[in-house]
Amino acid sequence: MTRLLSRRSFLLTGAALGGTALVAAVGGVGYLATVDVDGPDGYIDGDRAVLNAFLTIHDDGRVTIQVPRTEMGQGIHTGLAMVVAEELDIPFDNRITVEFPVELASAYANWSGAMGMRPEEAQGLLAWAGQRAISAIPLIATGGSNSTMSLWHPMRVAGAAARHMLVAAAAARLGVSVAELTTAEGAVRHASTGRSLPYAELARDAAFLAPPDEPALKPRDQWHLIGRAQPRVDLPAKVRGEPVFGADVVLPDMLHATIRQAPVFGASVARIRNEAEVRAEPGVVDVAVVDGRAVAVVADSWWAAETAAWRLDIEWTGAEGTAVSSADLRNRVRAALDVPEPYPTLEEGDVEAAITASPDRVLEATYEVPFLTHACMEPMNATVLIRPDGTAESWMPSQSPTFLRSGVMTGAEWAGVELGEVTCHVTINGGAFGRRSEPDVPAQAAFLAARHPGRPVKLLWPREEDIGRGMFRSAAAGRMRAALGPDGLPLAFDALVAAQSLTLSVATRRLPFAPSPDGDFLSVEGLDKAHYALPARRVRSVHVPSHLPIAFWRSNGYSFGTFFTESFVDECAHAAGQDPLAYRRALLRDSPRHLAVLDRVAALAEWDRPLRPGTEGAARGRGIALEQCYESVVAQVAEVSVAADGAVRVDRVLCAVDVGTVVNPDAVAAQMEGGIVWGLTAALMSTLTLEDGAVVESNFHDYPVQRLHNAPEIQVEIVTSDLPPGGAGEPGNVPTAAAVANAIFAGTGRRLRTLPLTQVETIGERRTRTVLPAAEEA
Amino acid sequence: MVAFLLNDTGVDVAAYETKPLLWVLREDLGVLGPKYGCGMAQCGACRVLIDGESTPSCIVPVGDVAGREVVTVEGLPAADGRLSVVQQAWLDEQVPQCGYCQPGFLIAATALLSQNPRPTDTEIDEAITNICRCGTYPRIRRAIHRAAATLAQG
Repeated sequence: MTRLLSRRSFLLTGAALGGTALVAAVGGVGYLATVDVDGPDGYIDGDRAVLNAFLTIHDDGRVTIQVPRTEMGQGIHTGLAMVVAEELDIPFDNRITVEFPVELASAYANWSGAMGMRPEEAQGLLAWAGQRAISAIPLIATGGSNSTMSLWHPMRVAGAAARHMLVAAAAARLGVSVAELTTAEGAVRHASTGRSLPYAELARDAAFLAPPDEPALKPRDQWHLIGRAQPRVDLPAKVRGEPVFGADVVLPDMLHATIRQAPVFGASVARIRNEAEVRAEPGVVDVAVVDGRAVAVVADSWWAAETAAWRLDIEWTGAEGTAVSSADLRNRVRAALDVPEPYPTLEEGDVEAAITASPDRVLEATYEVPFLTHACMEPMNATVLIRPDGTAESWMPSQSPTFLRSGVMTGAEWAGVELGEVTCHVTINGGAFGRRSEPDVPAQAAFLAARHPGRPVKLLWPREEDIGRGMFRSAAAGRMRAALGPDGLPLAFDALVAAQSLTLSVATRRLPFAPSPDGDFLSVEGLDKAHYALPARRVRSVHVPSHLPIAFWRSNGYSFGTFFTESFVDECAHAAGQDPLAYRRALLRDSPRHLAVLDRVAALAEWDRPLRPGTEGAARGRGIALEQCYESVVAQVAEVSVAADGAVRVDRVLCAVDVGTVVNPDAVAAQMEGGIVWGLTAALMSTLTLEDGAVVESNFHDYPVQRLHNAPEIQVEIVTSDLPPGGAGEPGNVPTAAAVANAIFAGTGRRLRTLPLTQVETIGERRTRTVLPAAEEA
Repeated sequence: MVAFLLNDTGVDVAAYETKPLLWVLREDLGVLGPKYGCGMAQCGACRVLIDGESTPSCIVPVGDVAGREVVTVEGLPAADGRLSVVQQAWLDEQVPQCGYCQPGFLIAATALLSQNPRPTDTEIDEAITNICRCGTYPRIRRAIHRAAATLAQG
């Protein structure tokens, strides 16, 4: 490999960067991200020319695009490859391969996502310092619906810069000026002579050229890929069952492991009562206590490990004080709503004054949601090899190679092994939803691998560990208050949420220090309703500790905050005697982008016409909800039927979404469809129950999720927009629960304020229906 | 030793007869299309055809398939590698998201269409009980109808 070893700023020299920083420091202006994407220089490696951190052109014309965001079903490997292909002017066909890069280059860091800004708009010294710090780690992570936001601009620049270098190489080859050359379909063309040079013939020369400082990006009206639905690059293999998920990793001499973690979080292993017996089971190689908190069985096959683990008789200790039940935790969350001084996140106008001034027009309602887990289809797993020389290699369907690496190092430390280089392979994954950014599983696998140097160990959790011993979405309660004015619209809107701090729980597992438990910005998502015209508004929160580990979970705080607020807006509309759509339209009078989305979903639902009556006397109702989240706006209408015996069926969900500039419209639609199904599971079906501190549910038989027979008809319409790209992975499930609750109210007059809204009844093998709770439980 | 026909090839595998077919396929035969999702016939990610019947392989002892025909997702394409009608419909409708559960859905849909060439939505809902956490159900319904239409055209 003839690699140039120097590392420098991808598009700007250090001197120019210093200049930018100086300008930023002095004037607080200057674009940073466009000019500061560190990555490898171009180099030649065998039959391929690496043009920059994101792009490799092979001698045979194939193109490899490095996408440092995990493909977990959202289609990001297709979307970001489209962005590069657009700027590079190559056909989007099967000559393109997408890889998650193995090298942890700083160019791949998700600094903008971590800082909540767009690279192309990041300005000032704080952004510069944050970028430097986060890129130095580098923190590479997929989440927060920000993959497109974080890489849209850098990957456009990477494609444009490479195109520029290829044109320069062609100009030199042909002895003409670059102004005479154009590009199309993966080739540089010289119009006056009709000569054409494919990129593959130019890439080796181009790799050694300097990238331009600020390559011109293709104007919107010349896009031929962005905004036009492209088939996903990963699906041909997926319909053949070919892709290698983390659970499918097979390596020479590999050992297989399973695990049993404490039923009550925080408990430790006192002893294994029958270790010798388990060790004697066929195929078993090792039985190990992992970090004092779990027992793993290692064997020559996973089935051998798992069947041996069934026999484990473990004595647990130290879980005193955490033996709480669901009712205890629910009471704790409810009581937290009455603490004297909740953390004030936001206050505009005088909420208390407005509420005091019109006491006869004050509404108050309390909402609740339970603990939930992710239940990704691919159970948790990680594979680690630790060699006798202290280097390590790891494979995981991870959302973050950074936390994969840190997990591996932690696990090795448990075993007293200090690691050298740790290579991280991020596989595609079978769903993640926030769960797979955690370092817990790779730490366990690394601990086991350290006990077997030179042999890879694949740790696969059985489903029961995933449902009941994993990570959770916090239970939460919300108390909403509003004072309505003479026109029925709120003069004041007051939101108070009690939930376990997600930021605290997540940080505790990653950082050497703990942030303040108060003021968790993720717990208050969905509460501020900034897009509604509200003369006074307030958002406050209370941290409610529990012994459960809380993890990122698709849409985090929005998964309950929007249920609280959009249900409550409906209650306000009802109190004001107004139509829920008309009421929201009035509230959106200063937010044209949101109003357009709302109007679109209302048109899709034909809101101005009455719902078709239900069959066999079923009551029907429809509900609407809207949210702004992840730089996108999403609105949904749910149509439900409620049978005379209380059975609730969601017949149809309509969705309109504005995600700003759309890269791959079909992928956005798929994310909305999937988000709605995810949202319906949470709205109607799932709950985790605690008894004596332990989760009762263990598998899909008692943790029901939507199946095909529950799933409604779904229609999605994308509202086109020229705004920069927003997020699409999480908005889809955000308004769903509120839309369904509002629909049930419209159909039955019953306002349900607790998720899940319905109870699940088994009606056959792997078949369920959802039924309204008895009236007194509502 | 258990002998059976796997994707048109005879196999003879040395495994405990009580070991589930899923794990024999994955660990002893290197056939990784069928996935582990729940281990209790709830999710369907492990479904395979056994003599044409869609069956969760995680609860079938391998001894039970002795002398029988097993087809996994790898066995759905034609001998020349062309996608089956169902697989092609899946691709045309861009069904998979993460894709982990899809081998099981492809098997279940293949079995359904072999028994009922033009299923209604209700019949699809009754026959397909697999779980997909990405929520691809609307597209699965469309893909099954598309495949049925293609098959009807011969």
